[in-house]
Order: sequence, then C-alpha cells, then structure tokens
Amino acid sequence: MPDFSLTAEQESLRDLARRFARTEMAPHAAECDRTGRFPEEIYRKAFGLGLMNLNVPTEYGGSGLGVVDQCLIVEELAHACGGMTTSVIANCLALEPILLGGTAEQKHRLLTPFCAEYHLASFCLTEPSGGSDAGGLTTRARRDGDHYVLDGEKCFITNAPHASLYTVFATVDPGARHRGITAFVVPRSAEGVVPGKDEEKMGHRASSTSTVRFEGVRVPATDRLGADGEGFPLAMRTLDQTRTPIGALATGIAQAALDHAAAYALKRVTFGKPIAEHQAIQIKLANMAQAVRAARLLTWHAAWSIDHGAKGTLESSIAKCFASDAALRVADEAIQTFGGYGYMKEYPVEKLLRDAKLTQIYEGANEIQRTVIARELLQLYA
Amino acid sequence: MEIVVCVKPVPDAETRLRAASDGRTLDSEGVKFVLAGYDESAVEQALLLKEAVPGSKVHVVAYGPAPRTEEVLRSAIALGADLATWVDAGAERWADPIRAARALAAAIATVPHDLVLCGKHSGDDEAGLVAAALGELLSVPDFSCAVDLRWDAAQGHFQFRRPVERGTETWTAPLPCVVGLQQAWNDPRTAKLPAILKSRKATIARTAASSPAPSPSVTPERFELPPPRTGAKLIEYRTPEEAAQKLVHLLREEAKVFP
Repeated sequence: MPDFSLTAEQESLRDLARRFARTEMAPHAAECDRTGRFPEEIYRKAFGLGLMNLNVPTEYGGSGLGVVDQCLIVEELAHACGGMTTSVIANCLALEPILLGGTAEQKHRLLTPFCAEYHLASFCLTEPSGGSDAGGLTTRARRDGDHYVLDGEKCFITNAPHASLYTVFATVDPGARHRGITAFVVPRSAEGVVPGKDEEKMGHRASSTSTVRFEGVRVPATDRLGADGEGFPLAMRTLDQTRTPIGALATGIAQAALDHAAAYALKRVTFGKPIAEHQAIQIKLANMAQAVRAARLLTWHAAWSIDHGAKGTLESSIAKCFASDAALRVADEAIQTFGGYGYMKEYPVEKLLRDAKLTQIYEGANEIQRTVIARELLQLYA
Repeated sequence: MEIVVCVKPVPDAETRLRAASDGRTLDSEGVKFVLAGYDESAVEQALLLKEAVPGSKVHVVAYGPAPRTEEVLRSAIALGADLATWVDAGAERWADPIRAARALAAAIATVPHDLVLCGKHSGDDEAGLVAAALGELLSVPDFSCAVDLRWDAAQGHFQFRRPVERGTETWTAPLPCVVGLQQAWNDPRTAKLPAILKSRKATIARTAASSPAPSPSVTPERFELPPPRTGAKLIEYRTPEEAAQKLVHLLREEAKVFP
C-alpha cells in the first residue's frame, strides 16, 4: 500500500513554508495584486530562509530538495499568493538546465556564486512568435571563434527585469528546427542584454514578466550547456522536472479558494441559516474539496515518481494539467459561493481566479499537456 | 558561557482541542505540538547571548513524552542551539509543574550551566512555577518576567529589565541563576531550511526521568472547553455609515446598552 504520510522532516519544511506564507507573504498579497508591485524584500527573505533555490544541490549552495519536498513548500506559498510564489520558484526553472545539462565545472562556476547571495535567474525559451511551438524558435546563435553571438527576442519571461542570469535557448541552425536549438547561460551584465518593461498582467501581479532582447550578445562557448543542438531535449527534460511544482502551486491556490469559501459559507446567513446548510452550497464545497484533493494527490504522485527515478513526463503533465484546471474551477466556485461579494476586489477570491488562470497557460499550456499526455498514453497501447 | 534553555512542547495555537477520555487531560491525538511563545523568546535570548559572548554554548532541555518533546528540541536546534537533552517522561500524560521542574533540575545539575533560561510560563498551562522551582532545586537565584538579558563582563553579572506598570525595572543577577523570560520582546528568528534539515540529523541525548517522583503535588480534576459562543451577529454593509447605523440599531434595540 502507498504511504501518504509525511516524514517529520517534511512536516517541518511545510511548517516553515506555511509560516513564511502567512507572516510574510499573505499580508502583502492584496496590495501587490492591486499595485503590481514586485515585493523584492519578500523574495530576499525567502532566499534568506532557503526557500528559493530549492532544487539546487547543497554542494552548490541550494536547498537540495526532491520534488515531493518542493511541492510541499510551493503549495504552502501559493496558498498565500500565487504571483509571489511564481517569482520565488522561477530560479528553480531557470537553473534546472544548468543542473541537467551543465558540466561539473559549469555547475560550480555558475551556481555556487549565484546561490551564495540573493539573485534571480530567468528561463528564456518562449518567443513572441510562439510559446508552445518551442521547436520553431528564431533567436539565433552564431559561432564566432570561441564565442557565440546571440540575436533575438524572448517574451513572457518571469523575473526578467530583476534577473542577473538568463538561461537562453537559441538556434545555431534555424533550418534544423528543434535539432538546432542550443542552450546558453547569459549574465545580465553581458553587453546587448535588454530586458523590456514589466508587463501589466491579469494575475500573478506580484511577479514580474517582460521581454528580453539579445542584441549581438557575445557568450563564451564555455557558457554553452551541452553541445550544439542539444538544447531542445534539455528544455523538455527541464520542464519534466519543474512542471510538477506548478501542479502544487495550482493546488495551493485551489486550497485557498476552498478555505475562503468554506469559512464564508459558515458565516453568511440567508433564509435564516448559514449558507453552508443549504444543499446547493454543500454540493459546491464537496466538489471543490474533491478537486483540491485529487489535484494534490496527482501532484504528489508525479513528484514521488520523479524522486524515484521516473522520467515523469506523463505523470507531471497529468498533475499540472489537472491541478491547474481544478484551481480555475475551484476559484470560480469560490466566487459563486461568495456571490456579489466574490466579484468585489475587496474580497480575496476573485484574485484567486485570475491567479489560477495562468497556471493553465505557463510552463506548457494545458493544450500541450494534453497532447503530451495522449502521446505518452498511446505509446502504452501501441 | 554555558546557557541552558528549558523548553516545553505545547499545542499549536491553531489546534482544535478536545478532552481525553479520562475527562481530565487534553486529548493529544492529532494535536500538533510546537515550540511556542515564551520558549521561543527564551531560545532567542540564549542565542543573542551566545552571539554576544564568544565561546558560549546553548543547551536545550525538555521534559515530556515522545515524539513531541524530541520535535521541539529539534526546532530549537534548527534555530541554533548546540546541544539538546530530552528527559523522557515515558507514558506520563501530564506532569505537574514541580514534577517537571524536578526532572529538568536533575538533568541540568549534571551539565555545565552558568545561566538557565525558560519562558516565564508555558504557552499551555501557564502555571509559571518551573523557573522558581528550578531556582530552589538548583540552589541558585531565580527571577521572572525578564526581558533583554545581557552579560556585563566587566562587572561579572547579568543585567536585565522587567517591564512593570508604567515603567521598567533594571536588575542585576549573579552567575549562575535562573531567569524566566517574557514573550515576544525580541522578535524570535525563524529557522532556515538548511538548519531544519540539519537538525533532523542532530543527536539528542535522552535520559529517563530519575526515580519516580513522589505522588503529584497537584492533579487535574477536569478538562473542559469553554461553551461555544452564540449570539454573534455579522453585520453586512456597503458603507461605513451603513455599518455604524446598523451597529447602533442593534446596540439600542437588541443589546439595549443605549437607552
């Protein structure tokens, strides 16, 4: 039989994240959502407590956690604010290509100083001409002696305006499509790296998102991850590792929506009794609770599979896709439970719907997740 | 300086409490026990002193049953304590404060202690007796309700303050002594993730509580929760003016606190 209990160590990690989420993040969530402020002081504190570079091994100064442990932390953070959580965990995504594709020398040289202090990194894959069609990216990397010269533009890049390091996917041979894609590590300080202005977003407003232009940026060949043409599988393997915590992030938003809805339903009185005693609301809450638990268990299962050596493509796609759809549905039902108050910005649930929406889109749109799920699934029957 | 801090596992403030089947004690099933409040401030005080006085060591000591007692000791280690001793209470579900103090004093007597700190009372029973009892049992002076304890190396004594009605007392105390600390005056630090992971692997010395204590000096008779509160009314409003009007109406017509 599977064992769903957490170890004492996992409980203490979750307690740390919960405490940080409640005392440091939650009090500023509404304000940052309203103003779009990037609360760097909170991210610095998260770094100080070891909540930032969760997937980086301790030998390079990270927290060295497995995916289950990461998910426990991410869910707690997202319960307080999905947008802040996106910014806190963006380093995990940006640094994963170095962990998976870097040599021992590169990991030491690039990760150790980065993780020793508060720094943000950004994962630069998506381009204005298409996010899901990553194989068709157009950012060029031309070899020039012992350097490459990068030209092109990336968009929807989390933390880009504040990052000091970028992992960039560019093509050395546009005609070869995904077989030409190559990964590079580019410091913000390199000449020709131009982050754009912070985008105005529907949700995740405490996070920061912008374009990044690479204008003739010279990158030493020693900062290439893997060989020419190995970038696409590296990006895919990266997303296999980082997709599951997005399921946890969505689960955290969904749990918050359920918590708000249930608490409100017990207080709000109509027709002489709390609305929690009306069957219509009970059915809503029951459905929401099912969705939250299913999202969490699928996420834990995917995380557990990866921690036990599985590639995790199928499991993580199922978890991310299901949990993000669940988050949107649960947030929607939470608003409905609040009625007119739920539609008001003064109450916390409409933010959850806006934050949940992004989890269906980023780190692989759910349409792509379903394509992946079907492909992996059909292989089992072929 | 050898600093001993006594800590106690207490139910997390968010726990839903229930009486055990004996009707006299807390049902600890499913209760999350934490290092809380006063004890966090005591550990923080010890760590501040350790940082101020080079070569100091912080030794946390707790008396209680498994696994909660070990867990709060690990929490203190994650915060920065160097050593931990668990005085195992075995199957004992509740210890009166004097019994707990005896068990703690027996353990403390066997280790170096220039200063013994504890919360001025525990976060659950709030008896406030352990600090005073430890002073007696260890035959050293004891003080309570202290904040901001410092070591004055030139004078060779501790200095601390006690907030009192409309003022603050400043005291000095010799070494060794026992001091009970106020809560939340020193903004206790949060343990960092690497320290939490490391604390899981730390060695905790375990000692059995020495000879069974004489019959308890006090025994709990009944454990009851306060009756559920009723009659609360949620005022719904669109403007502060409307809220005030409705509130005044209720105070006048229903609560009849205004004529």
